[in-house]
Amino acid sequence: MSAESHLIDMQGLNSHYGGRQVLFDIRFTIPRRQVTVIMGVSGCGKTTLLRHLIGLKATQPGQVMIDGEDLGGFDEAKLRAYRLKTGVLFQGGALFNSLSLWENIAVPLKVHTRLPEKIIRIMAVIKLGLVGLSEFCDYMPSQLSGGMRKRAGLARALAMDPEILFVDEPSSGLDPITAAGLDQLILDLRETLGMTIIVVTHELESAFHIADQLIVMDQGRVLAAGGPEEIQASGDKRVRQFLNRQADPRWTENPATSSCLPGERVEEGKG
Amino acid sequence: MIQWVAWLGAFFLDRVGELGRSGLFFYRMIRGLFRPPGKFHFVVKQVYFIGTKSFFVIGFTGAFTGMVLGLQGYYTLSKFGSEGLLGSAVALSLIRELGPVLSALMVTGRAGSAMCAEIGIMRIEEQIDALECMAIDPHAYLVAPKLIACLIALPLLTAFFDVVGILGGYAIGVDLLGLSSGIYMDGVERSVAWEDVYMGIVKSLWFALLIIWICTYKGFYAGLDEGSFGPEQVSKATTNAVVASSVSVLVCDYVVTSILL
Ligand SMILES: Nc1ncnc2c1ncn2[C@@H]1O[C@H](COP(=O)(O)OP(=O)(O)O)[C@@H](O)[C@H]1O
Ligand SMILES: [Mg+2]
Repeated sequence: MSAESHLIDMQGLNSHYGGRQVLFDIRFTIPRRQVTVIMGVSGCGKTTLLRHLIGLKATQPGQVMIDGEDLGGFDEAKLRAYRLKTGVLFQGGALFNSLSLWENIAVPLKVHTRLPEKIIRIMAVIKLGLVGLSEFCDYMPSQLSGGMRKRAGLARALAMDPEILFVDEPSSGLDPITAAGLDQLILDLRETLGMTIIVVTHELESAFHIADQLIVMDQGRVLAAGGPEEIQASGDKRVRQFLNRQADPRWTENPATSSCLPGERVEEGKG
Repeated sequence: MIQWVAWLGAFFLDRVGELGRSGLFFYRMIRGLFRPPGKFHFVVKQVYFIGTKSFFVIGFTGAFTGMVLGLQGYYTLSKFGSEGLLGSAVALSLIRELGPVLSALMVTGRAGSAMCAEIGIMRIEEQIDALECMAIDPHAYLVAPKLIACLIALPLLTAFFDVVGILGGYAIGVDLLGLSSGIYMDGVERSVAWEDVYMGIVKSLWFALLIIWICTYKGFYAGLDEGSFGPEQVSKATTNAVVASSVSVLVCDYVVTSILL
């Protein structure tokens, strides 16, 4: 694959919260017009990685290249231009509570275009139709279920017809049918619009269904990267463990856990 | 000892950091005034929220403040046999001090806390992040319209407070205590000069700026320090916002008075 076909090139991303490092030297590439799935147990740093890629968390210069340009060196204008061509679906949907569904989707359209209100409403309803929510366009977010809110969040992420779509945990907390519908929608977006899609998830089934490329993460590090078959065939112990849904031995075998339990420690041999 | 020094150092570093961050927030808020999106619609909504919806509570507070001033003033003034000055006393204390300060405190409690909670909830639900990802400046979209609206609404509420308060003083002084209506109103008219009104307006504009700055800032950064985002962070931020904003209103009142006097 030539260098130009890579949209995002991670060249050793490190990330900290306060003094604690949560991402360690992350290296992989994200190809254009494909679905890349980042997998890992919760708490391994997937959302943090995503926050770097969408510019919500500051990145050190030289660690992430986007379209050949250094994300860490983006000035405000460049970041703005980059954000105009990306769409993001947050873990909880992040809908604005005080606006109805169609108004939520209209927010970016109203700010970034000069279209009349009527047209904007029509466009918003069309986007809602993509996720099967057009009848609910006048509902308030609080009147919807969690899954519907997430779908509406996806419609809003698509409002400006982005080239790149970032999705955080699309199917967690959804019923299997809705989740499958979302997966299909993601595949359709890649097929019909040629979108580059980056999905973060811990759901194995959905990940293998939609992925062109898989990245497996553990404790802030990349364990493995490759096509679905490659990952399936991986011999790495921890990758296998993740794929086979085995309990993490660090949870069960850690002697430190017992010291967290309430009660007095009784020394053996006494009494 | 060493630990104590370290603790003190950490405390001051924290304060300085907070100062820098709130200063930056102030700069972005002001910059947001001149940035898209257009604000007319949002400002109208916020004027309704800050102004119209506070009308009743401001009128109520104003009436009772004026009535207390009437009672207390009459009692004090009558000791010197100068009940005739009641109108001036009530009007001046209302227009110069109590009107702006009490209106600002009421708006802090009613609208400031609500704005802080609203923005805090947007923070913990990633709605502010979502705005940024849509290439929308949250300072321009969320904060700046509130600032404009409060700069419009607070002086008007203050004026309303003053008028109702003067009428409250009238009700007590004239209707209850038997002062002549002409003497009361004459006192009001003769003693209030343009400088007094000017001072009241200047104060309420500063208070508006402080209330919005502090309340939206606290909401905007709700939970970011702890790195955990939950309802308790929002309630904490709201409490802090109301306390900090009320205290700053009182301090600012002293500063403006001492400068303009
Ligand atoms: N705002 C924050 N402040 C401090 N630590 C955080 C913050 N957000 C996440 N973390 C920590 O970073 C690690 C990775 O979190 P996250 O990226 O949310 O994981 P995931 O999305 O894979 O579940 C976790 O250990 C979490 O505790
Ligand atoms: Mg996550």
